[in-house]
Parts: sequence; C-alpha cells; structure tokens
Amino acid sequence: MKVIKEAISGTLESSDLLVKVAPSEKGAIEIVIKSKVIKQFGKQIRRVVTQTIEQLSVTAGSVVIEDKGALDCVIRARVQTAILRGCGSEELEWEKLS
Amino acid sequence: MTAKNDFYEVQPKDAPPEMEEIRNLLANNDLRLDAQIQVFVVCRRNGRLVACAGLDHQTIKCVAVAQQLRGESLSLTLGTEVVKLAARRGQFHLFLYSAPHNLPFFRGWGFYPLVEVPQLVVLMENSPIAMEEYCEQLREQRRPGRTIGGIVLNANPFTLGHRYLVEKAARACDWLHVFVVKEDASLFSYEDRFALVAAGVQHIDNLTLHPGSDYIISRATFPGYFLKDTAIIDHSWAAIDLLLFREYIAPALGITHRYVGTEPFDPVTSSYNADMKRWLQQAPSSSAIVTVVEVPRLSVGGAAISASAVRALLALGDFEALKPLVPPPTLRLLQAKFADRKHNLIGARTA
Repeated sequence: MKVIKEAISGTLESSDLLVKVAPSEKGAIEIVIKSKVIKQFGKQIRRVVTQTIEQLSVTAGSVVIEDKGALDCVIRARVQTAILRGCGSEELEWEKLS
Repeated sequence: MTAKNDFYEVQPKDAPPEMEEIRNLLANNDLRLDAQIQVFVVCRRNGRLVACAGLDHQTIKCVAVAQQLRGESLSLTLGTEVVKLAARRGQFHLFLYSAPHNLPFFRGWGFYPLVEVPQLVVLMENSPIAMEEYCEQLREQRRPGRTIGGIVLNANPFTLGHRYLVEKAARACDWLHVFVVKEDASLFSYEDRFALVAAGVQHIDNLTLHPGSDYIISRATFPGYFLKDTAIIDHSWAAIDLLLFREYIAPALGITHRYVGTEPFDPVTSSYNADMKRWLQQAPSSSAIVTVVEVPRLSVGGAAISASAVRALLALGDFEALKPLVPPPTLRLLQAKFADRKHNLIGARTA
C-alpha cells in the first residue's frame, strides 16, 4: 500500500496530534515528527509511528506529525486514519489495525 | 460550566450578517478585513462571535480571537478547524501571514516561519520540511560559475522583449536560471506560458528553465501581483516574495544577479523593481546580496515592448501590429487561440 494523495487526521489540541500524509517523491517512507515532548518521548513516538505504518504494510509516503503530547494509543489511531485516507483505502483489514 | 463553542463557515461573497461582526472583531485586534478571503471559519459562543480565521486559496489571514477568551485553547480549536476547512477544499500546503509578535502562537498551529519583514509581517508555512525539500531539488540544478543569473517571468505571453532580456542576461552570466510564474491567474495558462518560454529560449546553451513554485511570485507569497488590474491591493508584500528569493532560492542555486526589464507602464511591476533593489541588495539579511540588474526594454518603432501592450493589441484583434512584438511560436498561439474569435479581452485577467 502507498500513500497516493494528501490527507490529514487529528487536531492541534493538547494531548492530541495532527498527522499529515502525502505521496513520497522518493518513493519511500519519510517520517518527520515535531513534538512538544520530543526530548522526553521522541524515541517512543517514533517507534509507535513506525510500527503503525509497518503494520499497515505501507511502502511509500511522507508522514509529518505535529504532536501535542498524545498517548501512544491516540498516536496509533491518528496515524492509521491519516494513512487509510491517504491511501484511498475502501476496505479495512481490521486485524492490521489492532 | 463550559460554554459551548459553535464553529461554522462563512463566505464573504454571500454578504452574510456575520461580516459586520467579523470586521469588528478584526478591528479590535488591529486587523483589516482582507478582500481576497474566500471563506472564514468563525466561532460563536453564547451568541457572540468570538473568533475567526480567513482562507484565501492556500493562505490563512485575518486570524483573531476575542481578548477575554485567550488562554482557553480556543485558538487551537480554531487552528484545527481552519486546517480541516482547507483540507476539504483540497489545500494541504498552507501559508499564513502573521504579525511577528504572534509567531509563537502560530507555532502551536504547526506553522513554521519562512521570512520576516521586521516589525511588520512574517510568512509561515505548515510544514517543517517543505521549503528545505524544495531547496534540495534546486541545489541539484546548481551550475558552476562566478556570475549566476536569475530571472522570474510571468510571460503573459512571451514577447521579443522577454527574449531580449533573457539573451542579454545569458551573455552576461556564466549560467542563467529562468523561472516561469506558476500561478494560473493570468490570461494565458501556465502550460501555454511555459511552453512559449521554452520555445523562445531553447537556442540559449547556458540556461536552465525552471517550473514556478508556491515560493516564487505566487498568490501566497505575493498576492498583490495578481490583483494589479483590479486596483484593490490590500497588501502587495513584495518584500516577502523577494526575501524568499534572497534567503532560499538564490543561495540554493548560487544566484548572484537578478535580471529584470525596466518597467515604464505598469505601476505594480515598477514598484516591484524598486522593492527588488531594496530587499535583495540593501536590506540587512543573513543571506548574501543579490545584485539587481535592470535591463532597458527592447523597443520597436520607438515603443518599448511589453506583454501588456501585446494583450491590448490582442483585444483589438490587431494581429499585424502584434507581429513585430512576439516570436513566431507566440504569434502562432495567439492566432490559433484568438484569431477566429471576436473576443473582448478588455477586463480579462491580464496579470
């Protein structure tokens, strides 16, 4: 699965995050994370984002995250939503979303 | 008890009753209603309009939150709403104009500063990487040399005057980078303008023709440029466009000189040339100076050639008078598009 169009999910509010995805010009996965708590939790956030993308079997797409201190489960849900929107997925494979 | 915030869209063209409230809210925040805004997101609480943010294509302007409601994170909801509104309208790459002292506030919206006119205005975009990626692409096109020229053309349409300017610059430089304005707000489409420039400069060896971008004379970076015929210019912000050129584009390509034709007719372009000297050469900046070279326009029969003169002749359907002003490919396009039409072009967009 590849990101084929631009899409967003989430909000800018505290304890949430805004995820923007777009097709990757390099044809790879590109992740940029900006967070209020990057110093404390940057590694953990990146791990959750990377895992979520891998689980969805996405091979190409640019993912830009504006995090406001969201919990892991929120990060996962927002990233999934943005990716599925950006890939134009109609049918959901629920086991990949758990 | 928390009051309920009701967010909804308002279109200025429908002249809704909200416009007066928006105007008041903006005035209380030292802002003026920008006539280019297509749609506003507003927030109503207990019957009062307490916040608004306007969208002009991909640019956010006229953002205000009532004084008493600050510090409640209302602004973050407003930011989310306007970003989502833009997304529904197919706009994901967004720009935003702000007073410099509000910059930290818009950082919270996920916007990053690009350039600042000190004490006046800062242009931000909603990506921490887009400009860097653009510059990276430009850097791949760098050419060696001591004198590297740059020209930005709208070429609406490409004339012998444009060709003269490009040839003259190419002779004076080791390499010349030419950009075509991308915004489709002119009489001729970007596709047509680009094709005619490409045909008109193909005989020049030391030249790279670049597509335009959001960062070079676009509606986002230089809104006034596309309004010059309507004479309703809220802000021309030529400084913003020129600082983007000086601080990002010129360093990425190693451009040392910017070439431009003298402008005897059009007041917006003429003041742009004056602004060019100020912001590329004189204003303090962390980036090196780009020397502005004004080339006197090519004249035919005592009159300087300009694209606006060509459009005026086109409006009259005077193809004989056009012939000495444009190269053959442009003439062919003009004839193909306009010869068989009794087309009244007066009042058409002529940027």
